[in-house]
Amino acid sequence: MTTELDVPYLDIADPGFAMHSQAVRDARARSWYAKTNYGYAILRHEYVSTLLKDPRLRQGSAKWPEHNGVHSGLFYDWWTKCLLVLEGEDHHRIRRLLNPAFSLKHLEPYLPRFEALADELIDDFLPNGQVEFVNEFAQPYATRVLCILLGIPESEWPTIARLASTIGLALGVTLQQDLAEVEAAIAELYVYAEDLIRDRQVNPGPDLISRLVEANRNGDSLSDDELRNALCLLIFGGMDTTRNQLGLGVMSFLQHPEQWELLAAHPELAPAAVEEVMRTNPTTTWVTRETVVDFDYEELHIDAGTTVHFFTQVSGTDPQAYPNPEIDITAERVGHYGFGGGMHHCLGHFVARADMAIALRALSSKMTNLRINGVDEWMPDSGNTGPVLLPLAFDRR
Amino acid sequence: MKVIVDRTKCDNHGQCTFAAPTVFRLDERGILQYEENVDESLRDEVEEASDVCPAQAIRISD
Repeated sequence: MTTELDVPYLDIADPGFAMHSQAVRDARARSWYAKTNYGYAILRHEYVSTLLKDPRLRQGSAKWPEHNGVHSGLFYDWWTKCLLVLEGEDHHRIRRLLNPAFSLKHLEPYLPRFEALADELIDDFLPNGQVEFVNEFAQPYATRVLCILLGIPESEWPTIARLASTIGLALGVTLQQDLAEVEAAIAELYVYAEDLIRDRQVNPGPDLISRLVEANRNGDSLSDDELRNALCLLIFGGMDTTRNQLGLGVMSFLQHPEQWELLAAHPELAPAAVEEVMRTNPTTTWVTRETVVDFDYEELHIDAGTTVHFFTQVSGTDPQAYPNPEIDITAERVGHYGFGGGMHHCLGHFVARADMAIALRALSSKMTNLRINGVDEWMPDSGNTGPVLLPLAFDRR
Repeated sequence: MKVIVDRTKCDNHGQCTFAAPTVFRLDERGILQYEENVDESLRDEVEEASDVCPAQAIRISD
């Protein structure tokens, strides 16, 4: 039982706030939740697991534009119709139509192409003994995987990467000043997406866009606008996250070289390696919900409309759920919430899991003795995080 | 046909309820409830539920 006086406070708006900090670990040891600048943070695995899927909470990002003084315009319109923030039957209907296209059975035929792509990118820098991992591997890999799935020529990846990164600025606290740039990118992506949809309506193929165009459930299908919004979400949500997670993953293994060697010796552990880096070092360090009704949970009374942050890395390293929380790719673990959870569980998780396992397997098979080679640069250790620059040196295996 | 959910894997994300709403539902606490014996006419829906389950916890026994 946590009494009111014991409840820790975390200043999550402080630029110096870090998930991987003693202050956060101390807070987790004291209490299952903390107060923050806005709403509560849930710190322990057991409570994240229960509350994240509690039907009395809804997705918490719907008001993001308004919180940042944006009340209309292209970004506002897209965001408020985006699957990410829809609720109830509006959400379920779209999700029902989208989900099957992202299932494993449709993904499997693409895996050899992901493997070939990983090898091609690695072989380009391998003779140098060094690589700037974000720009020479993680970003082109994540973006070209998207191109392969969408049936877009891989040569167009720089355009996709640029648009995804620019729209990604919308998630930053500087949304107001970036708004014109974000809206220009959305307008450009709309035209790009509409062209693709028109093409697949006439020339369907085996790609993901064609599957979405053809998705039909009891006579219901996605309208052209819904297809476009979904495609934009896919490009926006599918690139940055995978790029960042790959950088975080490699950094985790750089700090645990014995685990990297284990992976190299046992490539069949690559899927477990992905789970372990997402558990201990996720790019999405929190997911946000909002209470729909007033309710009591344990000793806490939460008013309707309260923001609740679920700390994924913090709950993923909670010693009560993970007695030896350090990364161990051979351990049997309970599930983590690096992909969020519940109705809004990440749509693309099968893709992300598969493409990151392929990447980590290929990288570990060819590189050893990873070390930082110069100055690495990182996004803040909160919200969505990852390396901006990750210069590495290595020995060839 | 018989629907089998591995409760050690199921994490109550509820994606199955979109695919086959007459077979799977979440109760008021958000816990999965489901029909075990399901009419053959719902096979496609249950297969879809199994395909889209993030935890891969659902299978069909003929």
